Amino acid sequence: MKRLLISGLLLVSTFAANAQRKIDFIEYDLPNGIHVILHQEPSTPIVAVSILYHVGSKNENPERTGFAHFFEHLLFEGSANIGRGEYSELVEKNGGALNANTSQDRTYYFELLPSNQLELGLWLESERLLHAKVENTGIETQRSVVKEEKRQRVDNSPYGSFFTEMFKRLFTVHPYNWAPIGSMEHLDAAQEVDYVNFYKTFYVPANATLSIAGDLDIEQTKKWIEKYFSSIPKGQAINLYRDFINLSDADFEKTYGVAKSKFDAKDFMNSKSPEAKKLIASYASKAVEIPRTKKDTEKLTGVVKDVVYDNIQLPGLFIGYKFPEQTHPDAYALDMLNEVLSGGSSSRINKVIVEKKEMAQFAFSFNYGLEDAGVGIFAAIAANGIELDSIQKEFDIQVDLIKKELISQEEFEKVRNKIENDNVSSNASIAGVAENLADNHVYYGSASRVNKELEGYMNVTREDIQRVANKYFTQNARVILHYLPKDKQ
Amino acid sequence: MKKIIFIAGLILPTVLFGQLDRSVRPNPGQARTINIKDSEVFTTSNGITVILSENHKLPRVSIDLFTGSDPKVEGMKAGLSEMAGSMILSGTSNRSKDQLDNEKDYIGASLSADATSISLACLTKHMNKGLELFSDVVFNANFPQSEFDRIKKQNESGLLSAKSDAAIMARNAEVKVNFPNHPFGGVMTESTLANITLADVQNYYKSTFTPKGSYIVIVGDITKDKAKEVIEKYFGSWNGTEPYKAEAGDGEFNKGNRVIFVKKPGAVQSVVYVSFPEKIRTGQADQLPLTVLNGILGGGGFGTRLMQNLREDKAYTYGCYSNLSITGDGSWMSMGGNFRNDVTDSAITQILFELDNITNDYVSDEELNLTKSSMAGAFARSLERPSTVARFAYNIIKYNLPKDYYQTYLKRLEAVNKEDVLTMSQKYFTAKNCNIVVVGNEEILKKLKPFDADGKIEMLDAFGDEVKEITKANISKEVLLQNYVLATTKTTTLKAAKKKLKKIKTYQELTDLSLAQIPFPLKSTKVWMAPSKEGSKMEGQGMVFMKTYYDGKTGATTNMQTGKKEMTADEITAKQKSVGLIPEINYAASGMTTELLGIEDNNGTKVYVLKFTDGSTETFDYFDTETFMKVKSLSIRKEGDEVIESTSTYADYKEVNGILFPHTVNTSMGEMAFSGKVTSIVINSKIDFEVFK
Repeated sequence: MKRLLISGLLLVSTFAANAQRKIDFIEYDLPNGIHVILHQEPSTPIVAVSILYHVGSKNENPERTGFAHFFEHLLFEGSANIGRGEYSELVEKNGGALNANTSQDRTYYFELLPSNQLELGLWLESERLLHAKVENTGIETQRSVVKEEKRQRVDNSPYGSFFTEMFKRLFTVHPYNWAPIGSMEHLDAAQEVDYVNFYKTFYVPANATLSIAGDLDIEQTKKWIEKYFSSIPKGQAINLYRDFINLSDADFEKTYGVAKSKFDAKDFMNSKSPEAKKLIASYASKAVEIPRTKKDTEKLTGVVKDVVYDNIQLPGLFIGYKFPEQTHPDAYALDMLNEVLSGGSSSRINKVIVEKKEMAQFAFSFNYGLEDAGVGIFAAIAANGIELDSIQKEFDIQVDLIKKELISQEEFEKVRNKIENDNVSSNASIAGVAENLADNHVYYGSASRVNKELEGYMNVTREDIQRVANKYFTQNARVILHYLPKDKQ
Repeated sequence: MKKIIFIAGLILPTVLFGQLDRSVRPNPGQARTINIKDSEVFTTSNGITVILSENHKLPRVSIDLFTGSDPKVEGMKAGLSEMAGSMILSGTSNRSKDQLDNEKDYIGASLSADATSISLACLTKHMNKGLELFSDVVFNANFPQSEFDRIKKQNESGLLSAKSDAAIMARNAEVKVNFPNHPFGGVMTESTLANITLADVQNYYKSTFTPKGSYIVIVGDITKDKAKEVIEKYFGSWNGTEPYKAEAGDGEFNKGNRVIFVKKPGAVQSVVYVSFPEKIRTGQADQLPLTVLNGILGGGGFGTRLMQNLREDKAYTYGCYSNLSITGDGSWMSMGGNFRNDVTDSAITQILFELDNITNDYVSDEELNLTKSSMAGAFARSLERPSTVARFAYNIIKYNLPKDYYQTYLKRLEAVNKEDVLTMSQKYFTAKNCNIVVVGNEEILKKLKPFDADGKIEMLDAFGDEVKEITKANISKEVLLQNYVLATTKTTTLKAAKKKLKKIKTYQELTDLSLAQIPFPLKSTKVWMAPSKEGSKMEGQGMVFMKTYYDGKTGATTNMQTGKKEMTADEITAKQKSVGLIPEINYAASGMTTELLGIEDNNGTKVYVLKFTDGSTETFDYFDTETFMKVKSLSIRKEGDEVIESTSTYADYKEVNGILFPHTVNTSMGEMAFSGKVTSIVINSKIDFEVFK
């Protein structure tokens, strides 16, 4: 067994303002680069085990879009020790639940288990990371499943393509250009080797954050993490090992110049032969290059206006703005600005556009914060017989009002109270805590931000809200999409 | 399934890693026992049952008010409860809607309402303010006309967008076919929405939300003493009527599979739901084993038979599930998902296969254990939410369950065995009497025919109503009426028909009626005496519930509950246009206004639709285009604000004295659905007309 190196053990304690409950946790790095976060909450005998892989659709080859999401499916197909379909079966038959999701920035896997099954969860996730099955049988099945998912969520769902259509126009350079669901043609065109390479690049220890929350014993949990995760090879050694189990003797020797027989199949990392030892050491010291994207810097230069025809009855209006990335200091003020516009039934958009003027069936705005950029979206489904242009005009008036007039002290207090309430509720479940901790570590570089988030909001002033409205609601540089019924085409 | 796992286990190589043998699966540790904290329950002086689940983990509290009234059949006003629910927060006599919204948002609270509940959630420190708003709504909700108009308009737009949402369309069709004349089967349409008035909404609120029999469920950061204090303070003086109570019935069971198709132009996938009602209610002993059975078939997770077969094996879909809904007012089973056009029929085949297959043999130990463990796990996970414990207490009281129902849940679940599961499937499942609802592209329609027992696919619209596609009639209304008369009288000329009818001086028809809501048999008597006297009565258990008569000049209806009501002048004028045993023969002479609308489809048969109007009643008669016999009659009567719709279907025509009369007559009116079997028709006997007066 290897020595447990606790490189970054942190006991975090911050002052929590207002009603926010402080989340206690510990975190540390394993020698192979896996970041571990543990949060103890014993009130219910359940535990959430999650791994966040820092890979999303933005890391994809533009000719192979949809890969990150595809992997979310593929990595349930089994591992060297787990048969096809067994992932879910093992979790379910042990009283757990599991799922995964993929965004532009990350792929997130989690199990919710009875707390006495924590070790099972750790074994399952370590298997997925070390040697998942990335091969044709699973690829074929999941290709069809993903196509059905796209038909259900995008093609057959009214307005379902607005996300794809909006991002395509907001980002022409940055890989946020395409949506996580990606292109089915790309998935069809991809070969097994493309999938294997994606796994070798992004599913490596240094790209993983293991976040566990719930009814757990910290010391015992650390021992199990040591057992299942510290033994995962570091750097490129993991891919040497993967090739060792997947390649034929001839192919392996051709690639690495050393015969497979020189390695110990039962204890690969401790292979005795000098050639093997040398090769392993050399690959372990080579880091896996994880290609990262850059912050989006492209500016919209004008208004991009387009019509999309869909199987709908009521026209829809979607307006998109470029906001800064989620870690930008202005993100707090932008969230509060969004509350003024669209938070609750007394918000301005709801009051004016839906209730008073009865222009829309639904109308709301939301901020979509990402790692390299942010997006602000206004969406409205028109009331029967209302022109989309008139809804846009009314929305513009509302934006203009905020730009020109400071919001009242009372409205400001209202937004602060709402934010406080939402913040308290956001950490109500252990699954939510595990995810928040992992997100904060990966995107903000600090899991402890979970305890400071509310403070960030409370520091925003009314002037900040006015300032960000002026800065980011660029009426002469935005994307305006009109969704119209197909029969009007 | 057992076999597959076994094989998979064999071919896996043993992969060792360091001293760690990775092929060894970890064993579970000692399970912690699950304790369910008892909720506090107390009753207020005005009849509210309060359930409190204390939990101080987070500084927030939620308070929900649930009505104790049973759901109603809304018929021609379907959607009324929905409308009323969305209007409850439209303002009070103290606060306009704007003020209410503002004050609620100011404390960051959520205050929401629907047809049967009103809910508050906020931080503990804002609870008093939240309750002040809550009780203002409960006591003083004032339903302003302007908000009514706005919400109505919004619903009109909403109904338009429902026409493009396949999932909503499928759900609409599903509830309508499984639950006709039942509260679940009400679907708001453009015409039912138009029938709803502000007065209806106000009455709905008053009769539904009343302290007696209602529940207040409190969860969160509050002590029992404090809870008692605030409930007394904010709800103690609330008064109201008795809650509405009615048994809803079980839904309609099919004979043979029915395919119901809803067109969605341009669809790339079909939404398929295979469903049928179930005779079971919340808390009955079969609920747990039946839920286990549903779990194995498709109730949850990836390991179920439907998911493994249709997603993992065949990749027809992103997800295929079965859903068992057991409620206090009716229950049903529904299986399905979204399937691409070219595999829609194969998907239905596989769903029906799995549904049938599970009734043929014991489920395997593996799948039984999988489902039981997964249900036990879900039960444990649900306890993380403080609201779960409160819901348990609510169910125990509302459905009269044993006090330890949830304490013993895991033990009872553990005891469910293969025999129980097979018994459940054989008792509750059928692959032969299903409603197969398909929403999709018309190009797949022809592939669905083999699934329908009589080969006649029913076409419904987005709201689950029959599609009325009327084509132009190929004959005139005069020819239609004449052909009808000739067909029923089995003659070839009008002259012969009149001659045959002239010989009939009296007509008496006895019918056995059955009605879901009434447990004993009913008998109806109908008489006619030349030239224009008519009488009818309905009786049972020695009582006459209703009788009517018309003596050619005047008449009346006597109802056991509401007394005698004379015919109005309008009704008499209308009646005079519809005289004779077969009134159609006299329409031209009596001045009845008729219009032949055209030909449409009625359950797979082409029919002529003839509309006639007398006074405030519009009637649509449906005649078979081949036999010219009358198969259905739909009448819509307006009485002030009320709209009364009744539909009668006629079948089983038999000859009596050379004339064909229907011997099966089913009539539905609002929530009443009568099935009638004619037991005798006697011509020219002596009739005592006085008994109908």
